[in-house]
Amino acid sequence: MSVVASDTAKAPKTSKDWDMAAIAPFVALALLLVLGYFANPNFVSVANLTNVITRSAFIAIIALGATYVISSGGLDLSVGAMVAFVASLMILFMNTGAIADPMLMLIAAMLVALALGAACGLANGLITTVGKIEPFIATLGTMGIYRGLTTWLSQGGSITVRDRGLQQLYRPVYFGDVFGVPIPIIVIFATAALAAFVLYRTRYGRHLIAVGSNEEVARYSGISVQKVRTIAYIVQGLCVAVAVIIYVPRLGSTSATTGILWELQAITAVVVGGTALRGGVGRIWGTVCGAFILEIVGNIMLLSNFVSEYLIGAIQGAIIIIAMLVQRSLMRK
Amino acid sequence: MIASPAPREVSVTLSLLDASGLSKTFGIIEVLKDISLSVRAGEVHAIIGENGAGKSTLMKILAGNHQPTRGELKIDGQQVSFSGPVDAEKHGIVLVHQEILLAPDLTVAQNIYLGRELGNGIAVDDRAMNEGAAKAIHDLGADIDPNAIVSRLSIAQRQLVQIARVLLVPHRIVIFDEPTASLTPHETEALLKVITDIRAKGVGVLYISHRLPEVKEIADRVTVLRDGRLVASHDTSELEPADMARLMVGRDVAKLYPDRHAAEVREPVLQVTGFDVPGYARDAAFTLNKGEILGFAGLIGAGRTELMEGLVGLRPAKGTVSFRGKPVAFTDVHSSLKAGVAYLSEDRKGKGLLLTKDLQVNLTLASLGKFIRGLQIDRRKESDALDKAIRDFDIRTGTKTILAGQLSGGNQQKLLLAKMMMLDPQVVIIDEPTRGIDIGNKEQIYKFIAALAQEGRSIIVVSSEMPELIGICDRILVMRGGRIVGEVQGEHMTENEIVQLATGVNVGSGEAA
Amino acid sequence: MLRRTFGLAAAGLAASVAMTPSLGFAQEGKKVTIGVSIPAADHGWTAGVVFHAERVAKLLMAEHKGLNVIVKTSADPASQANAVQDLAVQGIDALVILPTDPDQLVSAIQQVKDDGKFVALVDRAPSVNDNTIRDLYVAGNNPALGEVAGQYIAKTTPDAEVVIIRGLPIPIDQQRQDGFDKGIAGSKVKVLDRQYGNWSRDDAFRVMQDYLTKYPKIDVVWCQDDDMAVGVLEAIQQAKRTDIQYVVGGAGSKDMIKRVMDGEKSTPVDVLYPPAMVATAMQLTAGNFYDQVPVSGNYILDATLVTKDNAKNFYFPDSPF
Repeated sequence: MSVVASDTAKAPKTSKDWDMAAIAPFVALALLLVLGYFANPNFVSVANLTNVITRSAFIAIIALGATYVISSGGLDLSVGAMVAFVASLMILFMNTGAIADPMLMLIAAMLVALALGAACGLANGLITTVGKIEPFIATLGTMGIYRGLTTWLSQGGSITVRDRGLQQLYRPVYFGDVFGVPIPIIVIFATAALAAFVLYRTRYGRHLIAVGSNEEVARYSGISVQKVRTIAYIVQGLCVAVAVIIYVPRLGSTSATTGILWELQAITAVVVGGTALRGGVGRIWGTVCGAFILEIVGNIMLLSNFVSEYLIGAIQGAIIIIAMLVQRSLMRK
Repeated sequence: MIASPAPREVSVTLSLLDASGLSKTFGIIEVLKDISLSVRAGEVHAIIGENGAGKSTLMKILAGNHQPTRGELKIDGQQVSFSGPVDAEKHGIVLVHQEILLAPDLTVAQNIYLGRELGNGIAVDDRAMNEGAAKAIHDLGADIDPNAIVSRLSIAQRQLVQIARVLLVPHRIVIFDEPTASLTPHETEALLKVITDIRAKGVGVLYISHRLPEVKEIADRVTVLRDGRLVASHDTSELEPADMARLMVGRDVAKLYPDRHAAEVREPVLQVTGFDVPGYARDAAFTLNKGEILGFAGLIGAGRTELMEGLVGLRPAKGTVSFRGKPVAFTDVHSSLKAGVAYLSEDRKGKGLLLTKDLQVNLTLASLGKFIRGLQIDRRKESDALDKAIRDFDIRTGTKTILAGQLSGGNQQKLLLAKMMMLDPQVVIIDEPTRGIDIGNKEQIYKFIAALAQEGRSIIVVSSEMPELIGICDRILVMRGGRIVGEVQGEHMTENEIVQLATGVNVGSGEAA
Repeated sequence: MLRRTFGLAAAGLAASVAMTPSLGFAQEGKKVTIGVSIPAADHGWTAGVVFHAERVAKLLMAEHKGLNVIVKTSADPASQANAVQDLAVQGIDALVILPTDPDQLVSAIQQVKDDGKFVALVDRAPSVNDNTIRDLYVAGNNPALGEVAGQYIAKTTPDAEVVIIRGLPIPIDQQRQDGFDKGIAGSKVKVLDRQYGNWSRDDAFRVMQDYLTKYPKIDVVWCQDDDMAVGVLEAIQQAKRTDIQYVVGGAGSKDMIKRVMDGEKSTPVDVLYPPAMVATAMQLTAGNFYDQVPVSGNYILDATLVTKDNAKNFYFPDSPF
């Protein structure tokens, strides 16, 4: 007897079949590109697509971190506020003029941002794991804290890089390119490649998926569930910091309203990318694709002439749902 | 191999249900081939077979969950075809699932009436439902508060609630899919009584079980499936359990338990004294020797599982534990696994394996450190380890990329055993090693356990199946109410002595089936 | 209702300020307490309100011996209602209030008014806005903010093709749009597109990038908000497009006023909707007690066009906004 048919109905489904689910968001993206072309031929111009993908960098990079948190069975609602908080402190640090050499100052500021992001993530992680507070509530709380501290730091106004020279030096990090590829796009793919390596190839990644898939099995297998989850939140914080590092040079300033609702966009990108909200499955490249889809939907709406500005929100919502339906139908196949 | 007698013709006139020539194909795999059987009013018709023999598929066809690929169904001589389980229920066929499908946070009554609540269309009528539920449970000879929350009930009580829920549907045929798999002997007795009562009302019962003595006790007729085919159908009086086992496996399985030679020298490996698991176990003390298989018997709720979980650091516990002569205190599973003490949970699906992940991920989950090269997991090495595990533990799977949840129960248990053995533990604690596993796989698992002991490892087996403990263990400790109340070994290892210790009551002799 | 406003201070007198001859007593040195209740700084404009309220409170107290000004900020209507009651208990002679949500604060304000105190209402008016509830109403002019911008564009670039970035879909945004249409009426100015930028820099950047893709030639951008103008200018700069002649914002943030003052070609003008209007209300209220002129009625501030010539009057380098 070489094949034992399982008692549980259905033809044996193998892990290979799940590849279809990984492809699904890309199919949705391709369909959107076609739709965009019909909405406005300019849509497929290199300039437009470059703009759109560059713009999606913030959400894409934050969503990479969200993929970790969600795969581990958690949730982080504080990322939008965290962007504003980390960016504000980063600019305030740059404004202290503590380091005379502008290049060294810039590098130091980036390191400060990364350290702050990791610290904010650690706080979220410890509150949810050691404090045993539901991630939804815990990060809703820290969202208020980060947002409130930002409002306080900026006294409700904006915080701007004062040193023009520093701002000019920093500007290319968003607006510059390498062989014609904008730097934010390079950052998206580099971050995603690193995230994919860690998630798919390392012991930590395997443990993360195990914890999200079934916490008890992970615990009974000798995995420290709390440690794995906390690290996922730190990864999220680091991703926020990377997003901040390319966000700050764009406008050179932040305000109390920076990053509002970005957490929902990031979560949407993750889910559209094929990662299940219940945890246990993480699709890094799908997430990147999901972030592109979100930005492209908005872009198509603006470029097309047949949608009233009042209806854009409704059509965007509908397109996201249709994209998810396309995915689901592909997955069942 | 015994010759299989041809299926015996049965009187058609009294049949409630007739199936003829049923076949079912999934993809290219033929799961059922040309099955014909009948169910008469007022009889218990048992369907037995190994896992994968096609029993559950057959039941699902009869209950409307699946459509047969070929063949026909007749009720009262009228040909029928079910569009779904609801359609089958309209024809009076109801199925009691093997798994407990209840909402754990609702009350007994709410569960029983879930989806068919009583009321005036706006508000539900809790009082009427509570009364109805109380009556339904009383009819089963049980005593459960209809207001109790299901998650607080024992497994056996939940099983009864599930049966009460199903029997609320007007029925002529009840299908029980392995109802006693997770019940203790006493609970099983009670359930068999319930089934006997149902039969007495003229209802036809289809009964699936692995427990052959039970089948012998309760069934009027027995149909044996093997590899999707019907190999025999007899009146129960014509078959002994041993015959049934032979027919199921297709060979002689009289020797279910392996021969064992207890280690000659007693060399303590694990010494436990004054060990408390708050709320579950008190003042436990025992010694596990090298190469020994030590059994833990007791009723459900006696604290056996919790004692083991406390030992390996899964629960808060305190006490003195010495492992290979050195005092140890395992605060989490990581530390106990690292030291060489592995615990295999009784809850394979909930705590043992990641059902939605493939075999490779499951196999190496607890031992990933061995597969790291540089920063990465060495997938080639993992894959080789899986090949070896599949060979060593005879895990039967058509393809290596199948998900763990798609394996049969027996193969899941083998995979779990393989997973823990990747860590080369000196002490292996196995909780309910054969729960829900068919006889062929059981025999294999006993062999593996014996082989592990032979290699010099020390094994603890926690089980509610007394024959199993008696068959494979060198000594058996019995727990009651959180305490170890006795030890039996040698000729004292009998069901009677164990039951007396487990219940604290002298139950006399001859009760064990 | 989220009400975000912009524009100038100094004062065009659009409605009546009743002036009656005083009785001629010397009022200097009289003990007067003015309570000022304003929203907490939750974004740029309200931050400006707080800044100007505190700035003018100091000025007024220095100017008039015996005058005490108490400034209280509140995050939401409920706490603002409490703050108003606290002020009343402290014994104020006048209340200057910029309500977070006027309709929710009506009864708290009414109580102060019924006690015979002087009440000045700023910017946000309840449904019933007459002298039964307040003595003085000081507000910016949303239709005029749009109209002034429209007129400037129609005059400066009569054939311009304009793209518009709107705020959020709320009434004042619509009033500004209507005002703009009135301002360009009769000219050849053509509006290519209107999309929402949610009064956010990041969203304005995104919308502007897409406009630049969609329209090969754009002459003027009207984004009616200085915050959004920041994003618009970055998007234009990145695209290196030279067809856009200028951008018109609105509100009067210090960064934008500075640009106008410095004569940046991309931002020749700005239209005021100033947070300093609270200061105007405070000054008028103080005037009611110390000058020879009792004050009442509506006081609607002009949406003044800020140009290179007059910009320095509106530049407050220490303001957060």
